[in-house]
Amino acid sequence: MLTFIGRRLISGLITLLGVVVVVFFLSRLTGSPIDLFFPEGAEPAQIEAFNRAYGLDKPVLHQFGIFLGNVVQGDFGTSIWQQRPAMQAALSEMPMTLVLASIAMTIAVLVALVLGSLAAVYRFRTVDRVVTLLSLATSSMPHFWFALVGILIFAVQLRFLPTSGSNSWQSWILPVATVSIGPIGVLTQVVRGAMIDTLSSGYIRNARARGFTGARIVYRHALRNAALPIISVAGDIAAGMVNGAVIVSVVFAFPGIGRLIVGAILNRDYPVLEASVVVVGVSIILLNLLIDIVCSIVDPRIRLT
Amino acid sequence: MKRRFWMSTAAASALLVLNSAPASAETSDKPITVVLAIELDSLDPCDTQPAQNANVVRGNVFESLTHVSPVDGKVAPLLAESWTQTSDLVWEFKLKNGVKFHDGTDFNAAAAAANIMRTQVGPEFPGLACLNSGQLPDPVKAEAVDGLTLRVTTTKVDPILPLRLSYVDIGDLASQTKPEKVLNPIGTGPYKFVSRTQGESVKLTRFDGYWGTAPQVKDVTYIVRKEATVRASMIETGEAQIALSIQAQDATDDERTVTFKDNRIFIMRPMTFKEPFKDPRVRQALSHAIDRDTIVPAILGITGAPYYQMLGPQVNAYIPGYDDKAPKYDPEKAKELIAAAKADGHAVDTPFEIVTRPDILPDGGELVQAIAQNLREVGLKANIKSVENTAWREFLRQPFPDEQPPTLQMISHDNTSGDASFSFPKYITCKGLNSAICSPAIDKLIAEAETSSGDKRTELYRKAAETLYKEGGMIGIAEQIRLIMLGEGVHYTPNPLSGLEIRIADVRLDD
Repeated sequence: MLTFIGRRLISGLITLLGVVVVVFFLSRLTGSPIDLFFPEGAEPAQIEAFNRAYGLDKPVLHQFGIFLGNVVQGDFGTSIWQQRPAMQAALSEMPMTLVLASIAMTIAVLVALVLGSLAAVYRFRTVDRVVTLLSLATSSMPHFWFALVGILIFAVQLRFLPTSGSNSWQSWILPVATVSIGPIGVLTQVVRGAMIDTLSSGYIRNARARGFTGARIVYRHALRNAALPIISVAGDIAAGMVNGAVIVSVVFAFPGIGRLIVGAILNRDYPVLEASVVVVGVSIILLNLLIDIVCSIVDPRIRLT
Repeated sequence: MKRRFWMSTAAASALLVLNSAPASAETSDKPITVVLAIELDSLDPCDTQPAQNANVVRGNVFESLTHVSPVDGKVAPLLAESWTQTSDLVWEFKLKNGVKFHDGTDFNAAAAAANIMRTQVGPEFPGLACLNSGQLPDPVKAEAVDGLTLRVTTTKVDPILPLRLSYVDIGDLASQTKPEKVLNPIGTGPYKFVSRTQGESVKLTRFDGYWGTAPQVKDVTYIVRKEATVRASMIETGEAQIALSIQAQDATDDERTVTFKDNRIFIMRPMTFKEPFKDPRVRQALSHAIDRDTIVPAILGITGAPYYQMLGPQVNAYIPGYDDKAPKYDPEKAKELIAAAKADGHAVDTPFEIVTRPDILPDGGELVQAIAQNLREVGLKANIKSVENTAWREFLRQPFPDEQPPTLQMISHDNTSGDASFSFPKYITCKGLNSAICSPAIDKLIAEAETSSGDKRTELYRKAAETLYKEGGMIGIAEQIRLIMLGEGVHYTPNPLSGLEIRIADVRLDD
């Protein structure tokens, strides 16, 4: 196990190096921050002084060398936009994204397990058709539209929830629902498919013949063997939840790394963009490692070598 | 009609000013929340030019020596009591006595001079970038003569220096000696800064030592919601009391939605250096091709009205009665003009890009699509290129490289100063950074106007505007009307400056 983790961490570091290189050069393709920080017709001397202050006066490859040297020491520079250490800005926003994604993912997995299992058990019957219809609708529903409709119904019409913000537990409900609605649909379909395969296998028929009840067969015997594809897809979805967090940050002004990345791109704040992408990259690499470990625990036949 | 609107706005503003008299002001402990569309990016007094910064700090935390009166659009005293031009290049300003900064220090000529010098970002402020520096296009020297007398020396004759100084906001002396950006702003305004949580909120509270009338509202929190529907919803639910940048479809049809015009005009700028726009007849055809009377009301609703000029009605270059002779919707005439240009060898079939951006104005995307359709109907090959703000700006500014396709740039331009010198030199002179036209006749008129004052200045700017429209250098599409939503029991009368400056001191709350 330790050898496996070590090997994955090394490959994760190589991936991370690739991410660092790509984000450095891509961020510079967005253009110079000069256009945003100076009025039209600013004096060249002012611009030169600004570039010098942020190290933008050197050739790009020279800047990259300095950047790599600093990154190794964990120094991503100072935010041009926020005027605080870039890594501090990224780390201060990441916990909210992680909490939001964790809650949304937990809800999505639980709801999908129940609905997907029901659909599989009652295959081709009314329950299956209703669940399939709902899961297709939720997985294809635009997050943005769902968020706005949610506000109009639950905040404006019914006055149950606040429109936006993050000041109370109620203000988490719509953002969590927005982030989890798509994954619920996708995962329900995955659970249904995996459970149909498993429920038709010989050992399940054998269990039924021995007199085990429906619920015990489904949740104790079948689900465990259907878990692998569900965990893999759930892992992929969890990694992509940063996208959902961006929508949530725009509509609900919910704090998180998505909001920071969008702000950094619009403000050409290279240090914050680089630090944020690296933080997200590290999170995804660790998440993938965690999924591999969980898969080996769920199915001991998988050897982590 | 437009004049009448301005008069009624002025009358309303005058009433507001009268209502703000000390005797009627009763303070309240009720806090209010203002919901903005864009987060402010700087609290520095030298960065108050962009609306997102000005909306929070101008007129609330910071004040300037002079200001443009919302009542009549003229320059009026604020922190300066009076001023005189002692020679062609020298001005003396007498400053208000007894004004304090929020930290208790005195406002004086030294502080005013330091602000003017820092705003220009000289070599003594290495690495500093100030968005207000463009408001003083030619260097000036500011110095304190005595405690309350400020001398400003210009490098060339500038009859509108007092107007220019209305864009220099005044921060405390200590902050004005450093090149670092101000993070904890200290001004002389009716509200002092409390805190800022980046990405979330800015909080202000009433400044008890304010020199003017004490404002009624005590605490103000500014938050940002990018979605217009969410901003409007927050008013409905009582989560916010003032919401800016409301769209027509979210507006209520009662007194909770208030409108104002801030001289913001939606215009088209053809690239006159390249085909198909080299011939003025093609540029005139652009104006004839667009059915403003149909598409503007249909798409913008109450947030826009058809318009033909580049500058708003209260700017001195506005030509009264121009609408009667403007090139109005006439697709047949447009086709004739294009055919005539083609017959003279102009490549009128050259495809061009209509360059716009998603946030150019509410429902701007649909309006640009309708414009493109109108242009295609008269035979022009128009494509739409919608890009984000920074890329849009690259298309806007000179130089225009050969490999760049010909463009018809959509611009939403405002001029709250009332003087065309804040628009014309930059947008329509040969050397103007945002100019896609070069006419020696226009340049000559503008150069002469810049050193003139009063009626002569107005006349010269109007002549320049007339030449510009004849050349088809800028084509007006719509005058924008902006919406603010107010919560129950909140009263605010917007004025032409409200796009930049929402003075919380002008807000009234019911008991």
